Amino acid sequence: MRTRTLRPMAALISFAALAACSSKGGDPNRQYGSDPYLPEPRQYLMPPMSVPKAIGWNAGETPTVPAGLKVEALATGLEHPRTLYTLPNGDILVVESNSPGTEPYRPKDFIAGKVKARAGAGSKGGNRITLLRDADGAGSPKLRTIFIDHLNSPYGIVLVGDTLYVANTDAILAFNYAPGVTQITSPGVKLADLPAGRIDHHWTKSMTANADGSKLYVGVGSNSNITENGLDVEEGRAAIYEVDRLTGAKRIFASGTRNPTSVAFEPQTHQLFAVVNERDEIGPDLVPDYLTSIQQDGFYGWPYSYWGSHVDVRVHPQRPDLVAQAIKPDYGLSSHVAPLSLLFTEGQQLSPAFANGAFISEHGSWDRSPLNGYQVIFVSFVNGRPVGKPISVVTGFLGKDNETVHGRPVGLALDRSGALLVADDVGNTVWRVSATQPGI
Amino acid sequence: MPTQKPSGRCTRALLHRRFTGAGAVLLIAAFATDYAYYTTALWQWANFSAWLITAGLIVTLVASILLLINFATGRTSRLNTGTLILVTAAAVLSLVNAFVHSRDAWTSVVPQGILLSAVSTILLLLAGARGWSLAKSHTTGDQP
Repeated sequence: MRTRTLRPMAALISFAALAACSSKGGDPNRQYGSDPYLPEPRQYLMPPMSVPKAIGWNAGETPTVPAGLKVEALATGLEHPRTLYTLPNGDILVVESNSPGTEPYRPKDFIAGKVKARAGAGSKGGNRITLLRDADGAGSPKLRTIFIDHLNSPYGIVLVGDTLYVANTDAILAFNYAPGVTQITSPGVKLADLPAGRIDHHWTKSMTANADGSKLYVGVGSNSNITENGLDVEEGRAAIYEVDRLTGAKRIFASGTRNPTSVAFEPQTHQLFAVVNERDEIGPDLVPDYLTSIQQDGFYGWPYSYWGSHVDVRVHPQRPDLVAQAIKPDYGLSSHVAPLSLLFTEGQQLSPAFANGAFISEHGSWDRSPLNGYQVIFVSFVNGRPVGKPISVVTGFLGKDNETVHGRPVGLALDRSGALLVADDVGNTVWRVSATQPGI
Repeated sequence: MPTQKPSGRCTRALLHRRFTGAGAVLLIAAFATDYAYYTTALWQWANFSAWLITAGLIVTLVASILLLINFATGRTSRLNTGTLILVTAAAVLSLVNAFVHSRDAWTSVVPQGILLSAVSTILLLLAGARGWSLAKSHTTGDQP
């Protein structure tokens, strides 16, 4: 009897909860650029999740590219490839990695874990770097070796001189590199610790070096969506570090960047830029992920506010003093696209349209309907600043029904011939996008 | 509280009652941890609340299944309507509260979460004062 009474009520509540999250996200076009549309934040009963089922690619299936370009698989069967890096001799490094794995803290974490697994984000990473040698540049590597093995959720990678730096989730390691080697077996030497710990919510440590190679810049993500794991564990997180390459001394270069998943220098101005993944669960159109120049000692809002001074009421105690300092990002990428890689071009050969600007990979949304992201875009730069609307370059990662996903783009790199490489951590493939007629 | 008859049959018939009480304790404890979070903003209190509400709902579900079994096996045939309404209302509010507590950080508790915990606590204390039983047993007719 009691159960009978409960059932319609439970149905009513689930309906109310569904209704609460059935509000659809608007046109992403309204959120590109310097002045994105920002609706009022909302609070939900049910965390709004919308995740396509990961199905991978069948033989012969590929992502889609515009006319004048072609796409082919450069390497398949990888273990969750994330970051790509081209060495001066043309060898391509593929960082195969995933989260070190975190314990569920709340009932919600169990559900989130199941959803992630469905989306193909739960698979184990290789914790290694694979080398691909495509000597003739024809897109079919003749050599594939395990370059560095037994890493700890590696992500960022950069070569300075004869030293290769790898950012594990907990430390930067330095490896001696000689041109042409296909394997490094000596253990890396630790340059500097990075914030990790038991939660390590946003585990990726993106990394780049400045032009003279004196400093490394490391993006460190927050330890939560919005401080739900406490403020203590956010110490030193949601920040971009500057690490002295010789001494390993580090300092926070900029803060309030919730999850800076890629850092890169704009080649004309040598200005540091980052793509940042913003907070979730206050609406399908909040908060836009962004591309921004990173000012020294700048504060970009997280957790207290977003897009400048828009206060997030979920954080307590609030900090109006910090909100007043929060810098507005340069360029909105629209909400929940999950930008994971930022790659500047320098007049390379892929197409004249891509001569000056940046490719950005969008891993794709998990808490927004309709889905957003799941593509590689190009943002044009003029005088070192992002301008205009993004162009979709590599698409077709989603199934036609928008309920399945073949792959999700992560790391980007240009190979020696100027072709665009795209790591796909659901299809476990590296895609190579090149011009159909080279040299245009 | 009237003295219970020491009959084994009667004790079994009351089984759901113990689970009602146990579930209520967990849900009431969630109000205490919500209050602790409200005053300290230490995340672990909100974390406790989320688990306490989840566990309280599971135990309350067990109680309702046992109540059905009590009906099916003929140990009781009459509902204790007042207590049933109080506990059912508290369970429904706590279910909503479980979703509220799935939010992140401050607004998982303040203001809706702690308000729901407080109302549930009042309802459950009233149900406790009435003896937790959702049905009347055959043996005594009135209080089980």
